[in-house]
Amino acid sequence: MLTRLALCFGFLLLPLQALAQAQEHELKAAYLYRFLTFIEWPAQPRAEGAITIGVMGADDVLAELQEILPGRAIQGRPIAARRVREGDSLAGLQMVFIGRAAPAATGKLPGVPGLVVVSDADGALDRGATVAFVRTEGRVRFQVSLEAAERQGVRISSRMLSVAEQVRGRRL
Amino acid sequence: MGFIRSSIRRKTMAIALGTTLVALLVNGIALIAYEVTAFREAHMADLRTQAAIIGRATAAAIAFSDRTTAMKDLLMLSAREDIIAAAVYDSKGNLFAEYVRGGGEKLPPRAGPPGHHFQGDQVSLMYPVVEEGETTASVYLRGRTGLQERLHGYLLILGGVFALALGVAWAFSAWLQSTITGPIQHVAAAAREVVERRDYSVRARKTSDDEIGVLADGLNRMLADLEREIRERTEAEDALKVADRRKDEFLATLAHELRNPLAPIRNSLYLMKLTEADPQASAKARAVIERQVNQMVRLVDDLLDVSRITTGKLALRRERADLLDIVRSALEAVAPQAAARQLEVRSYLPSPGTPVNVDATRLSQVFTNLLSNAVKFSNVAGRIDFRVALEGDNLVASVADTGIGVAPETLARLFEIFTQADHSLERTVGGLGVGLWLSRRLVELHGGTLEGASEGLGKGAAFTVRIPGVALAREARPAAGATPGARPANASRKILIIDDNADFANTFAQLLRSMGEDAQVEYDGGSGLSAARLMRPEIVFLDIGMPGMNGYDVARQLRAAPETANCRLVAVTGWGQPRDRALASEAGFDEHMVKPLDLDRVRAILARVQAA
Repeated sequence: MLTRLALCFGFLLLPLQALAQAQEHELKAAYLYRFLTFIEWPAQPRAEGAITIGVMGADDVLAELQEILPGRAIQGRPIAARRVREGDSLAGLQMVFIGRAAPAATGKLPGVPGLVVVSDADGALDRGATVAFVRTEGRVRFQVSLEAAERQGVRISSRMLSVAEQVRGRRL
Repeated sequence: MGFIRSSIRRKTMAIALGTTLVALLVNGIALIAYEVTAFREAHMADLRTQAAIIGRATAAAIAFSDRTTAMKDLLMLSAREDIIAAAVYDSKGNLFAEYVRGGGEKLPPRAGPPGHHFQGDQVSLMYPVVEEGETTASVYLRGRTGLQERLHGYLLILGGVFALALGVAWAFSAWLQSTITGPIQHVAAAAREVVERRDYSVRARKTSDDEIGVLADGLNRMLADLEREIRERTEAEDALKVADRRKDEFLATLAHELRNPLAPIRNSLYLMKLTEADPQASAKARAVIERQVNQMVRLVDDLLDVSRITTGKLALRRERADLLDIVRSALEAVAPQAAARQLEVRSYLPSPGTPVNVDATRLSQVFTNLLSNAVKFSNVAGRIDFRVALEGDNLVASVADTGIGVAPETLARLFEIFTQADHSLERTVGGLGVGLWLSRRLVELHGGTLEGASEGLGKGAAFTVRIPGVALAREARPAAGATPGARPANASRKILIIDDNADFANTFAQLLRSMGEDAQVEYDGGSGLSAARLMRPEIVFLDIGMPGMNGYDVARQLRAAPETANCRLVAVTGWGQPRDRALASEAGFDEHMVKPLDLDRVRAILARVQAA
């Protein structure tokens, strides 16, 4: 009887967990897309072709992105997402998301000019990420490193900064 | 109805003010409508801008589900006092963050379709934030427009403008009225006065040369015509009344004057009957009868002359005459009366054989009249100065007496017909009141004047006749042989009298016989004709108006018959008009005499037969 009850509860609990999981990767995918709308690439004033987001070690986020991106565009440029593996060239990407599960997440993060590095690994900012997802009070939020942005040669909108959980290297 | 009946002054005022009011209302409504629209549009533009700013400011917060930041962003609106509520919705239309000033405001739970909505003094706006072709958020704003306060201000200003404009319009129309309704009111007041007081001497005041001036002129001309016509009618009526009164007086006087001589005549006849044997008494009685009959004849002659003159049928027969003869006959006519009143008549007469071209009979009548008046109105033992002279070619004659005189106010009326200076019953003198009128007309027919003068009552009176251009050259022409009064000496003439008036015929025959003539009488035309054939008369006195056969027919037959073809035919009738004379002459008459017969003329006719 108890087992049956537990089973029942387990059945009940499972979808909830799945939902919470789904919410997080969905959010991250949506945020990645929206970051693009708040970030400028002054070094590529007249860039053409698709804006491409590379995803490393987070297949669920990649899948979500590939679901929401088709049909969307930023300043007339379509947006695409593709998987990136360790050692792949990061050239041609405007943004790369390095998931917590990727081996690169624990090491020093790549510093390619014009590339915005986003990661949800702990201490990502310390290791050179431009934007880092964090969880606070059960919510997905993000932190921004202006130093990294400057180093990469991208400009982040103050509006985005205004909703960031933390901004590093802010000039007073 | 009330408006139609009200005065022009009110109407023009109402028109001026009404027009101004309508213009102001239309103007005011148009202005307010434009202002409301413009104000709303400006307000909406402002609100949209605000919504766009909010949308942009909260875009990141919505994008990253940061309600706190969105709330903070919305708090910016606290600087805008007119915005009472605001909200942002996420891309799915769910309420994301809200801001309410004061509280108690309800916000839509989901984003609605874009657009704005005015409700009273409030406006709500749903503004979609579109980025990269998709609605990333919606902003909802609700605010006070302040339109009512603004409208209040506008209405206040418009009210002031209304009052001012109406005041100016009132003043302006009042001024215009003084130029339009003022003159109209003058004309209307004049018309009203005329109608109410029946005073046609009222005139409308003309104050302008426009149509109203023409109206005033027209009214005035009509009034002038009316006034003149009424005055003329009144004068004519007055004149008629006066004439009527005079006529009544005249008829009364006439009756009196005609009856007056009858009493002494009848008395004399009685006297003659009673004292047949006393020749002295008979002679006195005859003298009375003769005088009274003469008086009556003169009265009737005057009346006939008046009638002829008023009907324009009196024509003068101007011929050569001796002035002295004319004057003498007049003097002789009044001599008995003058003597009776012991008057001294001083005559200053022209020399004998002074020829003048006048109607001797008429001029003598004038002198007789003037002298007779002088005699009548003189006191006993008074004096009359009678001067007749030629001054150059002009005849000047004056009769002045020392009698009762004439009051200055009466002098002018003396010459009016039927006028008598003394209307009292106690008046001492008789007369019809036609003498002076008749005399003046007769003198005027001669082209002369007759003027009267008196220094007042009791101071006597003087009447002067002036007839220009009457003198003729003296000719060595012997005086007319047939002078009145030349009595035929011998030989009786055969005379036939035919008249149905037996009394007249008999007395006339007796008169002729007493003058030594052979007179026979017949009383109708038929027997007259047969008698004439037998008698072969030299003269026939023939009445015109007879029963059976009238005088004209008798005359024609007498002329046709050889026995009487050459006898002298004298018409004796009461009809003395020129037409009657013409008819008589046509029927073969030689002479025409009017009853009663003048003995002198009878003698002259007799003398002419003798001459032949």
